[in-house]
Amino acid sequence: MSTLTWHAVGAYAIAAALYLAHIVGLRRGAENAGRALLAVGVALHFADIGVRCYHGTNPISSTPEAMSLAAFLIGAVFLLTSLRYQLTAAGAFAVPAVVALILLARLAPMETAGLTPVPVPEIGRLGQAHILLATLGVAVFAFAAVLAIVYLFQDRSLKRKQLDRVVARGTPLETLDRLAHRCVSIGFPVFTLAIVTGAIWVARLGLLHGRGTLRPEYLIAVGTWIAFAVLIIARVGAGWRGRRAAWLTLGGFGGTALVVAAYFIRHAV
Amino acid sequence: MGGANIDLLLVGVSHKTAPVAVRERLAVEPDAIPAALAELTGLAAVREAAMISTCNRVELYVAADDADRAAAGLGEVLARRAGVAVADLAEHLYQHRDAGAVRHLFRVASSLDSLVVGEPQILGQTKQAYDAAVQNGTAGSVLRTCFEEGAFRVARRVRRETAIARNPVSVSSVAVEFARQVVGDFAKKRVLIVGAGKMSELAARTLRTHGATLTVINRTRARAEEMAPRFGAEVADWNDLPGALTAADIVIASTGAQRPVLSLDLIKQVRKQRRGRPLCLIDIGVPRDVEPEAGKVADIYLYDIDALQAQASEHRAEREEEAAEAEAVVEEELARFVKRWRSRQLGPMVSALQAHFHGIARAEVQRVSGGVDEKERKARLDMAESLIKKLLHFPMTAMREADPDEVLSMVQAVQRLFSLSPMAAVAEPEQAPAGNKKATGS
Repeated sequence: MSTLTWHAVGAYAIAAALYLAHIVGLRRGAENAGRALLAVGVALHFADIGVRCYHGTNPISSTPEAMSLAAFLIGAVFLLTSLRYQLTAAGAFAVPAVVALILLARLAPMETAGLTPVPVPEIGRLGQAHILLATLGVAVFAFAAVLAIVYLFQDRSLKRKQLDRVVARGTPLETLDRLAHRCVSIGFPVFTLAIVTGAIWVARLGLLHGRGTLRPEYLIAVGTWIAFAVLIIARVGAGWRGRRAAWLTLGGFGGTALVVAAYFIRHAV
Repeated sequence: MGGANIDLLLVGVSHKTAPVAVRERLAVEPDAIPAALAELTGLAAVREAAMISTCNRVELYVAADDADRAAAGLGEVLARRAGVAVADLAEHLYQHRDAGAVRHLFRVASSLDSLVVGEPQILGQTKQAYDAAVQNGTAGSVLRTCFEEGAFRVARRVRRETAIARNPVSVSSVAVEFARQVVGDFAKKRVLIVGAGKMSELAARTLRTHGATLTVINRTRARAEEMAPRFGAEVADWNDLPGALTAADIVIASTGAQRPVLSLDLIKQVRKQRRGRPLCLIDIGVPRDVEPEAGKVADIYLYDIDALQAQASEHRAEREEEAAEAEAVVEEELARFVKRWRSRQLGPMVSALQAHFHGIARAEVQRVSGGVDEKERKARLDMAESLIKKLLHFPMTAMREADPDEVLSMVQAVQRLFSLSPMAAVAEPEQAPAGNKKATGS
């Protein structure tokens, strides 16, 4: 890992520690410091991606690179959202997730062995579009999942009448539900396009190279898409929201995470 | 920390020393403040004056040349106001001077001396008191330093660094906070008040101030119609209770009925209609108005009076714990304040002493430098000034590091030994507000 990457990881890690310290009550007022460090981490990470691009490593040229881009997007989306909403609790989940993703991406064997990712022109425009859309979709769904987790914790505390814990987390249930729904609404069309472009790409590769095998991750991806489609239709049609919506969001994201894990294991390890 | 030579004097009464019967007679209405301040600065020994008058305290903060004389005068003013003899009021009065008065002001502004520790209003009231003194020309450099550079800064730090004001401590504010955590901002939310009793009205007023839209529903419609206009609420018919519950985001129930009016079956039925929207039920009725099992239904959040009171008590205990931390902040800031104050006292005297010696040096160099060239004259002047700097180094250091109790006597001794101007040595460098003769230290 480059020095720039390490610095980004360091800033993210301290920010994650501050957010965690804030919600467990160890350190009051750590949220602002956490947000400042997260901003530093996002800026360094952006610079890191830029430098790698300059040296010929495109952020969509491999699964680890795409994971690093997804980590950057999660961090940036959380940072921007936290400027408007009080999302301390979400920070305690989102920022550690960013740290984990970037570490996985940068310490993956392909990365540590110094192997060169696939040159982008070889992936083709369709492949590039698929990877970029899938990365965006995963990042947005990951953020929705973070909000769903916070919703479930918040719901439990409110049911148990534990106001202190609720106040420490700070985001009203309805706001969390609305934000998570917005994320799913944005992520779903992006993910749909990713699946469509991916299907066409795979079909073309099959015709060109005779690699038409139906892999498990394709099925999981379709299953994930169905889960999010059900969530959106149920919300609009039957008014599904709150706990049920939170669980379904988590289920959908679980599928997304499985797809990413399958790609990661297949291509990076 | 006594002996810091801060000529601040405080005389007052508070909820800790005087019953409401005394406090209400001493309280000053906002439009009577200018006259009251003028009366205070009209006293012989008083240069500056500010007055904090709330339902829990009446405190007079003055900068005084003669603290004993000023304290006697302030006691007479208060006794006259209360319509009692000075001796009768004396048992309720407290007074603090010097750093003790500053400490008290810091504690008051930080809400450590309040009836409900950590309540937020007192800082605003302290600011209003100081603003009134500034506007009426009765605040000078002493009050400005103590309030602006001291009390307000300490209060902000206490709020920032301790959890003294973090959690609500009254039942109504706990209820509001629970509701806020469920439904978020109240601005576009609908609140249904079930029952038209006194408790309902109190809760409704609280939520109204937060911008919620209110609807009142009561078995006797006439009572709801009587109550609703007082805070701009709509009235719903009792027969439409399920519909009103479906439309509401927050329900405050306090009917006085002997059996729950919001049954589990009704809540389940309403929940289906709400299509997953969360509903916050605040049950402040005794006996309870909401069947307790309703709280177990998904998306329904029920808080009864016991839950609210338990939470409020817990928060009060937390505030007491946080108060110890806040007291430490006050002491730390007080020590810093006193140090700054002393260095300000010493500043003019140090300057005067240095100017005195350097003036002598320049005069003597000038006297013995007739006929020498400019370079030689400058060399002699540099040597003389260096000599003076070294000679003054130890006395200056000793004064800066002196015990607070010794500072004034040292300043006076230096003034006398070197015939320095007393005003130049002790006056504050900054000027009091224009147009305030009393506050200029004259």
